[in-house]
Amino acid sequence: MAYLDLTIHEIHEALVAGKTTPRELAAEAIKRACEDQNNAFELIIDQDAMAIAESLAEPEPDNLLWGIPYVAKDNFSTKGYPTTASSNSLNGYVPLFDATVIAKLKQRKAILIGKMALDELAMGGTGTTGHRGTTYNPHDPRHERMIGGSSAGSAAAVAAAIVPFALGSDTGDSVRKPAGYAGLVGYKPSWGRISRYGLFAFAPSLDHVGVLARSVSDAAAIVEAIAGHDDLDATSAMIANPKGLPQLEGDVRGLRVAVIGEIVNSPHHPIIKSKFEEILKGLTEAGAVVERVHMRRDLLDAIYPIYITISCAEATSNDANLDGIKFGPSFWGDTYEQAMLKARTNGFSELIKRRFIIGSFALMRENRDMLFVRAQKGRRLIVEALNEIYKTHDLIIVPAAPNVAPRFVDGSDKLSEEYLIADNHLVLGNFAGLPSMTVPIGLKDGLPFGLNVMGRAFEEATVVNAALAVERLTGLKNLRAEGGVAR
Amino acid sequence: MNFEAVIGLEIHVEMKTKSKMFSPAPVTYGAAPNSATTPLDLAHPGTMPTLNRQAVVYAIRLCHALHLDIDRELWFDRKNYFYSDLPKGYQITQNDRPIGKNGYLDVKSGPGMRRIAINRLHLEEDTAMQHHYRDYTLLDYNRAGIPLVEIVSEPDIRTGAEAADYVERIRSIVTFADVSTGKMEEGSLRCDVNISLRPVGADKFGTKVEVKNINSINNVAKAVDFEIKRQTQVLLSGAAVIQETRRFDDSLKETVSMRLKTDAVDYKYFTEPNLVPIRLSEQFVAEAIAGCPELAEAKYDRYIRQIGLSEYDANMLIASRETCQYFDALVADGSNPKLAANWLNGDIAGYLNKSNLTIDDFPIDPSRMAGLLKMIETGTISNKQGRDIFEKMLTEDTAADVMAERLGLRQISDIDALRTVVAEVIAANQQSVADYLQGKERAFGYIVGQVMKKTGGKANPGLASQLVKEALSHR
Amino acid sequence: MDKITISMLKKAAKAILLDMSASEYEVLAQEFDILLRQMDLIGNIKGIDDTVPMTFPFEAATSWMRPDEPVPPEPASDILKNAGTTLADQIKVPKVVG
Repeated sequence: MAYLDLTIHEIHEALVAGKTTPRELAAEAIKRACEDQNNAFELIIDQDAMAIAESLAEPEPDNLLWGIPYVAKDNFSTKGYPTTASSNSLNGYVPLFDATVIAKLKQRKAILIGKMALDELAMGGTGTTGHRGTTYNPHDPRHERMIGGSSAGSAAAVAAAIVPFALGSDTGDSVRKPAGYAGLVGYKPSWGRISRYGLFAFAPSLDHVGVLARSVSDAAAIVEAIAGHDDLDATSAMIANPKGLPQLEGDVRGLRVAVIGEIVNSPHHPIIKSKFEEILKGLTEAGAVVERVHMRRDLLDAIYPIYITISCAEATSNDANLDGIKFGPSFWGDTYEQAMLKARTNGFSELIKRRFIIGSFALMRENRDMLFVRAQKGRRLIVEALNEIYKTHDLIIVPAAPNVAPRFVDGSDKLSEEYLIADNHLVLGNFAGLPSMTVPIGLKDGLPFGLNVMGRAFEEATVVNAALAVERLTGLKNLRAEGGVAR
Repeated sequence: MNFEAVIGLEIHVEMKTKSKMFSPAPVTYGAAPNSATTPLDLAHPGTMPTLNRQAVVYAIRLCHALHLDIDRELWFDRKNYFYSDLPKGYQITQNDRPIGKNGYLDVKSGPGMRRIAINRLHLEEDTAMQHHYRDYTLLDYNRAGIPLVEIVSEPDIRTGAEAADYVERIRSIVTFADVSTGKMEEGSLRCDVNISLRPVGADKFGTKVEVKNINSINNVAKAVDFEIKRQTQVLLSGAAVIQETRRFDDSLKETVSMRLKTDAVDYKYFTEPNLVPIRLSEQFVAEAIAGCPELAEAKYDRYIRQIGLSEYDANMLIASRETCQYFDALVADGSNPKLAANWLNGDIAGYLNKSNLTIDDFPIDPSRMAGLLKMIETGTISNKQGRDIFEKMLTEDTAADVMAERLGLRQISDIDALRTVVAEVIAANQQSVADYLQGKERAFGYIVGQVMKKTGGKANPGLASQLVKEALSHR
Repeated sequence: MDKITISMLKKAAKAILLDMSASEYEVLAQEFDILLRQMDLIGNIKGIDDTVPMTFPFEAATSWMRPDEPVPPEPASDILKNAGTTLADQIKVPKVVG
């Protein structure tokens, strides 16, 4: 019995019952990690993980995370383990401190067995731009399909049941989109719920720590374990964290659900659309009140450009510390500027450089008002429009993506004319810092797809409840890719 | 053609908090390189800023002293540029919303005063230190992130003397408020001058020159005076003043061109997204202000009005916070204020100057000194005897009365004993007595001197004088 | 907005200490054309200029500030472990002028 194939809650029961041990779990997880065919790992942590696992003797019945192996996206600072954010500019960088969330999981005796590949510096959505190359979707053993990004490796490891949960980060949809493509639960709570201290910043006003798992209650439990105010993160919320969400009943009676018509009506594959409608019907039958709402087209059309402008601008500034002087591959030159120029020119991929230049351009004095400031104004109008919806509705539910995981040949990281609303609406949850969870709802040709539930800021309970209801309707819990067969 | 100088000053003040502005690393001076840093100070990825509460308290004190409006919500911005001493590639500062706005400082202007408007005071962080060698530069991040306030005046200053007085008053405020050590020579107070000339009566500003690298208050005046002269000569010769940055050369006492000012650098300012706005409650602001130690101006008033010191004495004392603290301690210990002021501004100042020390290094602490002053005040010893004891107390950690005992320096204030001596002296100096009675005042002093001599200098001179007068009046 | 030229892009790149190959600049120039057209969509939002910019996702002001208590620093040897060239416990860079 491969206990590693189970959910965290189930593994925990088995540990408490003595049916398995942390050592067994860790050994199996590491074995699977070494056998990974999807190019998901930056680093496998084996010896230290086994040492920790072996030191855990007495199961802790009240500690759900005791002995549970997990992985973290390689943009979380891990003391003593190289952390690169999948960028050559950070090759060889070994952090001196643990990110707060890593420290918390360590305290809870979860066992970190790997650091996972991402789109370079978290700035991408295809899982193809990390410095180790493409990460594949375990649901397609032919390696023709992407898993999305930027939390590509984290998603792949959970989908392939190497571990039952992973840490990711979500700035524009980077946990919730790959979750959809990989049949996972991808959960990002409200901005400030989880400390970002130690998460390499991409765009702080949009960045969130997120969790990938194979059940709603698992995801909720991890978030509960790592959430909380952190004195080291000035943006972390003082609002008390809800407890007991994993034990909610999925009761949606009286819940007012908004479905944004313009999003749902934009091109989606018919199978996705019909499954989505089916779920909505199921929720209605369970007592929810589902209603189509309208969101202004001019706002929706601007989502992507607003996101690109703000995120690239903040990113350019955040990554100005990557100059090869304090850390990362260093270069010499006639002047310090030359040394920095060489380090940055060598360390960043084409895509990242283009993104930085775009960001820099948007902030330039002559462009600032027209580009950057306008984007920030657009953000306000969008957030206001969302808040309008939330005056009369508790949740917004939409399909997570218009189709299953795209083929590599069909996708591209070059900015293109097609700004499909359906492809980019998840960033609404970043603009407004709202709790948002992707939940799998079906399979098409063996490839998963999901929907997304988004609630008001700090109302995680409502989101978790609805997600549990969806999970009950679909029965799609613990979906794993094994040899291409989703189980 | 008469020109008037239009001068504005930008002053940076390093604040003496225990930890840094946005980092909890310790604030140190002269520590071994890179021995006081954390990953945040070297901008390691994932590190995040947090605002130092005490730095805000200090800034509020300064805002209040400079009559600035204090913003009750603190917002921060990123000033983005690349430089080797800037680990993050940006500095966290306050561009749009400085904590203080629209204040003023009155400075000496000729025989009167001039009000210099202050545009802003804002919070920001210091950069790393660089040590330049022939082929390379070494970076020490101990200083990176130390709290700074920047104070920007309007261009209301007109002369070198006004500029120097402005800086001196700022120095006084920041030291008395206990916010900074305020030492230009150490870099905890830095002053950049912006100066242009225009024809008297004109509205339009002339070309502005920035002067940096001024390392003393005297040199502020010198730099400004030199620039006025230089720019006047340029303009009178028909040429145009070049917009540039110059540095003050301490040995030449001149400003020297450093670099041409090209288009102003584009700092791509935007709101720092890792620091949510901070709300300052009225109570917080009030407590910050109330907790400010007495500033020089208030001390001056108190010394003159309540304590009754002379303007001269009060001015001497308020030149330094530490001197005032010493003085206040003496007075608190019961010392006669006038006596205390005399000693501080006289013998003690003399000693410190000679030995090149500050009052902080003065080997006699206020309570020991108060003991000495008490003895003088009560007449137990004379001022001269006090001086002798003082000399000894500088090198020995002994109380004044113990030292007096040891040296056998007790002033004779026993009236009967002195009367006897007086009588003896008068008897032995009949000629002087006669001279005095005939109106020769000097003979009086001679007789008193003889009394002092006969007592080995130990007689209380005031008492001796009184007794001699008494005795002679009976004649 | 004026047409984006390669030299404008080079200037923007230089300002952030980056350089790219000629073909990369070409790709970027194409992206820019698309991007600026997309950014026009922001301009199309009704009422866009009647509002104020938003930095944070919601009203997130706090009154909490960090107490002024220093933490133990990292030893110099550790903090410099990741640096390229060091000398006398400091990071060594080419001579900085001006």
